[in-house]
Amino acid sequence: MTSPITAQHPASAGKRGRKQIGLAFIAPFGLLFMLVFIVPIFYAGYLSLFQQKLIGGNTFTGLANYTKLFHDAQFWDGVGRVFSFTLVQVPVMLILAMVLALALDSRRLHGTRFMRVSIFLPYAVPAVVSTLMWGFMLGVKYGLLGSLNDALGTDLDPFTPSTTLISIGVMVTWAFTGFNMLIFYAVLKAVPRELYEAAALDGANEFQVVLRIKLPALRQSLVIAIIFSIIGTFQIFSEPQILPSMVANSGITTHYTPNLYAYNLAFTGSQQGYAAALALVMAAITIAVAYAVQIRGLRNAFDH
Amino acid sequence: MRLRKQAKLLSAALGLTLVLGACSSGSSDSGDKQVKLTVWSWDDTVAKAVPGFEAANPNIKVKVVNAGSSFDEYTALDNAIQAGSGVPDLAMFEYFAVPYFAIPGKLDNLGEFGVDKLKKDYVDAAWNDVTVDGKVYALPSDYGPSVMFYNQATLKKAGLKEAPATWDEYYQDAKKVRALGGDHYIAQDTGDLFFLLSLIWQAGGRPFKVNGTKVHIDFSEPGTTKAVAFWQKMLDEHLLNTKVTAWSDDWNRTLNDGTLASQIMGGWLTASLPQRAPKAAGDFRVALMPQWQKGDKVGAENGGSGFGIPAAAPHKDAAFKFLEYFTHGGGLSPRVDAGAFVPNTSVLASTDSQSKVNKYFGDQKVGPVLAEASKSVARGWQFPPFFEWARSTYGDLVSKYYTTGKGSLAGILEEWKQRMIKYGNEQGFEVD
Repeated sequence: MTSPITAQHPASAGKRGRKQIGLAFIAPFGLLFMLVFIVPIFYAGYLSLFQQKLIGGNTFTGLANYTKLFHDAQFWDGVGRVFSFTLVQVPVMLILAMVLALALDSRRLHGTRFMRVSIFLPYAVPAVVSTLMWGFMLGVKYGLLGSLNDALGTDLDPFTPSTTLISIGVMVTWAFTGFNMLIFYAVLKAVPRELYEAAALDGANEFQVVLRIKLPALRQSLVIAIIFSIIGTFQIFSEPQILPSMVANSGITTHYTPNLYAYNLAFTGSQQGYAAALALVMAAITIAVAYAVQIRGLRNAFDH
Repeated sequence: MRLRKQAKLLSAALGLTLVLGACSSGSSDSGDKQVKLTVWSWDDTVAKAVPGFEAANPNIKVKVVNAGSSFDEYTALDNAIQAGSGVPDLAMFEYFAVPYFAIPGKLDNLGEFGVDKLKKDYVDAAWNDVTVDGKVYALPSDYGPSVMFYNQATLKKAGLKEAPATWDEYYQDAKKVRALGGDHYIAQDTGDLFFLLSLIWQAGGRPFKVNGTKVHIDFSEPGTTKAVAFWQKMLDEHLLNTKVTAWSDDWNRTLNDGTLASQIMGGWLTASLPQRAPKAAGDFRVALMPQWQKGDKVGAENGGSGFGIPAAAPHKDAAFKFLEYFTHGGGLSPRVDAGAFVPNTSVLASTDSQSKVNKYFGDQKVGPVLAEASKSVARGWQFPPFFEWARSTYGDLVSKYYTTGKGSLAGILEEWKQRMIKYGNEQGFEVD
């Protein structure tokens, strides 16, 4: 600053040099990011402007795929289904995960380590395997539920068109509760022990500690968990893809969820352009919902 | 320094592999050069024909690859064609998929290889399956004449001495089997499209008329309506098990415990039924489909496939040589020995297939029944070129009906037709 004319030159050169080194450091990441993230999105965008015909080949149709999509009742049927699924399944799962995390953190349970691992374990089971497993367990004919029906004289069927979604909810909850529990548990572990000691000195009981210390601590991680869960449930695919081969007439159609619909459009209907448009619109919807949750959730989190 | 040396070595190695790669892939069919054929097949018996073929044709090496079954393979093939690389020299197609590839020009017309003279060696209907607009696009490699597998022990329990020969008897027998109570049914059905189509096929309905890119769909012909009304009656009177879906684990159990009295399906089930229902060994028998008129012998198909040469295949002459070998020539017998059921008249009439008893089917001579069923398949059936899409859409429509019972089969077929018309026209066909 003292002699701007002489000092400026070397300083900016040094800066530039440092900048280039920095660029070199992020280059591997940047390249991969471009290759596996940015390029596919743009390619999908490009594909979505074309219509593939079995006779006549590819034709450029502009935004026709998008206008068609907005009038496609089958698409909106799937979107409505994942929305209602999310509205019920995500709160149930997260409350369950939170209760489990609080229980593990209460220091009043024996065998918490075993519990922690066994509750988390389903997360490591691939969706395909877990669907097959649940399919067998919930089977009315010869499955566990079939035996239960025989024993109790009930006639429960978890795979009718009106109950299949609930069964899928059970599978997803089983698979992901442990994961969310672990996130919450990690946050609770990070709460400084002094706070509990102070609370104890002030004469707070266990319930007040949960309400005043633990739950507020969980608030931020809850927002993250909600966002992850929404993204996850909007993309449900494996369960409805596999179930129809196991159980008859479960009500699962080729457009049961938007992802399944995109898959079927692209691979059985050879309508890749339309499928690409669907995927992009669905991504936009998911981002919008997740973003809305984030803004609302974080604002509230900072208010307190 | 060291780094640079390694880089040099690496690039030299890369160059070498490139040169080697060019050698192996740049060969052509003619001359003494080695040809490497790639065959996509999910039929395990095709590989049995390879040793004999390679011995007779030392210049040709055959690699049989399982690129997935049915739909998975078609997707892979479509992708390879679109990408312009990795296209096999021969690929397997179910008969309904032949028009899908043939009409847009993705398959070669085998007329160039003089296949017309082979026609007489195949069952008529099988030849029709690989013919689109008068041109042959594949050679039949396995066949699925519709037959009835019935559990004799269960029928006996229901007081029936023999299998139903007509649909009337089938209906009466269904009631008697149902009277056994529990889960006893004459058959299961959860909306099996191929079964319904075989019923329509046998009754004389021809709902799809395909002429080039023109497709006419009609479910109102008398043959079609007769078949649909009959099955509707079976459903309405709760004579069918609509809870157990074919190919599921539950299905295996009903086949094993004898609660499923019969199953009308392609003849190929002969090969896998023993594994599906080992406990029912000796109970099952095979018969022709029940008939609409007593004494008739009219059949239909349920499945079957052939092999064609993709238009983008690299070694067409060699490919045809092998195709002819394993579907028509010397490669047939090792395949038949390995369990393939083929529509070649020579095999169907052979003393071996006519006289062999099948232990699983209570020492019944199964061969003559299947041969009879093959020969009696009614002619003139066509599949629309977008059948793969159509059948998944049918699944959407029919599942609702089978669970709620609201509506009717005829109504579903009509709705299906409307969807096919819409989709077909969008895809550039002329559908009405």
